[in-house]
Amino acid sequence: MEYDVQFHYVKQAWPYLMEGLWVTLQLTFAANVIALTLGFGIALLVMSRLWFVRAPFALLIEFFRCTPVLVQVIWFFYCVPILFGVYLDPMPMGILALGLNLACFNAEAYRAAIQAVPREQMDAGVALGFSPLQRVAYIIFPHALRAALPVLITNGITLFQQSALVALVAIGDLMYMGKQVATQSYRPIETFTAVALIYFAVSFPVARLAALVERRLDVARA
Amino acid sequence: MKIDFSFLSKYHEALLMGLGTTLQLTVICFGLALVLGFVLALLRGSRIKPVAWAAMLYVEFFRGTPVLVQLFWIFYCLPIFLGTELSNFTSAVVCLSLYGGATMSESFRSGLKSIGREQYDAAHALGLTPWVRTVHVLLPQAVLRAVPVLLSNGVGLFKESALISAVGMAELMFIGSTISNRTARPVEVFTAIALIYFIVAFPLTRLVAVLERRILRRLAI
Repeated sequence: MEYDVQFHYVKQAWPYLMEGLWVTLQLTFAANVIALTLGFGIALLVMSRLWFVRAPFALLIEFFRCTPVLVQVIWFFYCVPILFGVYLDPMPMGILALGLNLACFNAEAYRAAIQAVPREQMDAGVALGFSPLQRVAYIIFPHALRAALPVLITNGITLFQQSALVALVAIGDLMYMGKQVATQSYRPIETFTAVALIYFAVSFPVARLAALVERRLDVARA
Repeated sequence: MKIDFSFLSKYHEALLMGLGTTLQLTVICFGLALVLGFVLALLRGSRIKPVAWAAMLYVEFFRGTPVLVQLFWIFYCLPIFLGTELSNFTSAVVCLSLYGGATMSESFRSGLKSIGREQYDAAHALGLTPWVRTVHVLLPQAVLRAVPVLLSNGVGLFKESALISAVGMAELMFIGSTISNRTARPVEVFTAIALIYFIVAFPLTRLVAVLERRILRRLAI
């Protein structure tokens, strides 16, 4: 079949795609904020000495890690309102679903990092008479954040890509806008290529940044 | 609202069929992705710069864009380029294999990187041809080291395969949505779907963890 590839359709639709990108970025940012803080909390809870504290959060992490994100997103959209009577707009709901998913992945990253904090650091904290909360806030968190940073950034980019899933529950993100434009203009090749390139243009530099951070941390540790 | 899972027993055949399709898809794509990933990893280490760059660009592109976008691209655009219709299943296999290949190549690459320089020197000293060196010296070691990550990627493919429902292929997620629409009981259906994915994926991740410990102990790295 003859197909005349013409990118001026994309040029016409550019404002829509940018509008979508803005929504995608907001989603990614908000979910990352939730996940960076909540993830640390979950990591601490899952390392608790009390099994009944540890168990539910371990299960939560495994559950989010062992089911498709799509299922999670759909589950949140359909089941949370019915089960808990919480009626949120699509956007906060999307942020909540993606944020919790990312929080569980980040919790694993934090956990590995916390375990790598040398024992002496804790002992020093005890010797200096720090309260447990102070030890966590001033000693463990800075160490763990630094060590986990490359993984946290990588997880953040993954979430940026996973956020395309919310298009399937009709949030007007980049993917959704792309689908609309492709359907209306009958130009799937140009539109989806452009959408792919936009995602790539955002995530590639950030992925490079993560690699750079990792190298620098390795140097700093050596 | 009353939560009652019992009506799902009526649909157990459909759900099992969906799970079967999902698993079939996962296994085929896992195999193809492994081969593609290994080739890509070798190409990225090529001394011919344009080859290495092309392989790198491929990997970065597939890792840097959402799988959903790749899926739509392959589903809507590839048939136009090829001039033939592709079945849902073929599109799905092409998409997940191309994506899986990119992630696998990264795992192989770190596996290859961990092989010491002296292995290459030994192969050279023994006068092994590049083919023999690749297949009999590098491949076994790289694979052994990469096994846990490769299997994790396989579990990843299993999860990503839920996306295929978006282009209307009757795998587990799609069948779930259909049942949910028909019965208007999303809570039970999607919870059950999530549990099915979990029941398959969770033991696999445990297995990976066990394997990882064993391999680490055996190789003492």
